[in-house]
Amino acid sequence: MTKVPFQKGLFEETNGEPALIGSKCGSCGQVLFPAKSVCLNCMSTNVESIKLSRDGKLYTFTTVYMASEHFLPPYTVGWIELPEDIRIFSQIRGWQEHPLKIGMYMRLYIETLWQDEDNEVIGYVFKHVIGEA
Amino acid sequence: MREVAIIGVGSTIFGKFPEKAIFELGAEATQAALKDAGISPKDIQFAYYANLYGGMVEGQAALRDAGITDVEITNVENACTGGATAVRRAWYDIASGLYDIGIATGAESMTTSLIAGKLIPPAKGDLSGELGMNTMAKFALSQRRYMDTSGVTLEQIAMVSVKNHHNGCTNPYSQYKKEFSVEDIINSRLICDPITQLQSCSTTDGAAAVILTSLNVARRYTRKPVIIAASVIRGGDYAFRQKDITFSDVTYKGAKDAYTMAGIGPEDINLCELHDAFAVNELQHYVELGFCERGEEVALLMDGITNIKGRLPVNPSGGLLSKGHPLSATGVAQIDEIVWQLRGQAGNNQVPDAKVGLAHTLGGEVADLEAGAVGVHILKV
Repeated sequence: MTKVPFQKGLFEETNGEPALIGSKCGSCGQVLFPAKSVCLNCMSTNVESIKLSRDGKLYTFTTVYMASEHFLPPYTVGWIELPEDIRIFSQIRGWQEHPLKIGMYMRLYIETLWQDEDNEVIGYVFKHVIGEA
Repeated sequence: MREVAIIGVGSTIFGKFPEKAIFELGAEATQAALKDAGISPKDIQFAYYANLYGGMVEGQAALRDAGITDVEITNVENACTGGATAVRRAWYDIASGLYDIGIATGAESMTTSLIAGKLIPPAKGDLSGELGMNTMAKFALSQRRYMDTSGVTLEQIAMVSVKNHHNGCTNPYSQYKKEFSVEDIINSRLICDPITQLQSCSTTDGAAAVILTSLNVARRYTRKPVIIAASVIRGGDYAFRQKDITFSDVTYKGAKDAYTMAGIGPEDINLCELHDAFAVNELQHYVELGFCERGEEVALLMDGITNIKGRLPVNPSGGLLSKGHPLSATGVAQIDEIVWQLRGQAGNNQVPDAKVGLAHTLGGEVADLEAGAVGVHILKV
């Protein structure tokens, strides 16, 4: 099976170190994810692509007990707050082993999200960092 | 701008009617509104028709069967705010002087829609949708954070559902017509933790319609026209600008626009139909609509202020929780309810001495925006 990202340009993995790709405005400082070539806050084109921090804090979460297009129940999703002052919506993994709590430390991983006929569809997920609060 | 009044309202009963086509529901509500106004379909000069999950020209099909053809008809989609958007557009076409008499109808068949039996996802290809977002998860995420940061309990949130199901018992248009206890609500099926089935609106079919005219024309048809004091639709801003997901900025801004337009404040509102798709929403909307300060919303509920006989009844119809939520019909149905209340025709659910009512809908899930759209209408007699 070929590994394909679920959408293009959202993340990369260099030497085993995954990162979400955002953009930062050189005029107003706004960080955006997904990255944009124009700042949606001030419309400046003085925008650079940046790698977002791998670690953040759990802002909120929910476990869903009905199927979605790609996920069988139960699955957990949440918002992760990154140090760049931005919230990322993501699948959360490992929630069965470690009960989730708002404010706990979370780390980014690239994993298989689902499989379609020919491909292993990969994307970003967050997991609790064991050993941290 | 001219003053615009409502001279007729009509609705189907809300419930599960998989044997009925969307246009049959729409035609039934339209006919009821025409009858209520005492007006011939031939006198309707234009129409807006809200629907999300149907096919092409749903409005023309429904209005055809109600006797309205050969006039300007526009089909509208704005998720749960679709019905309010249809009313807003009809208001504008009369306020601006373009037409004198028009109709806004909203209709939805959730039981026969492509998302029947599923949670409601964003549009195909949406980033959040691909990752498992749906409209209930959106508000479960808000509720989890709200309970954690405000200390509001699940029992208190469930009380919204207890109140609205109580109100729905005596509304002939309501889907449920059944009382539920706090225990029933908390112990019902868990869907998006911490939201259980009875903290959520159900799968509902139905339609509602309103007939609008200029105030001068209204006096030919009725001695008690209900005036549209404010009509507001506003799209959601970027999610990165929302400081706190437990506070709907777009509802706050839409309400502020509406109060300015009506020249009144939240203290002047006698009753409110708001978007309680999930029980938690009602408590949060009390704050955003200006009915109380943050931290006072639970007291507003628990002290009975928002009961039918309280100082500020909220969702006397039973709301989306009990009456049901056929998406594009809801915004119009809320206005129907307020018209009945202001005319003194709300039967067992009548709010005493109501002169000013507010209707609020909030709809649509889309990545990177706080919400799709808010609709706020203020009606007065």
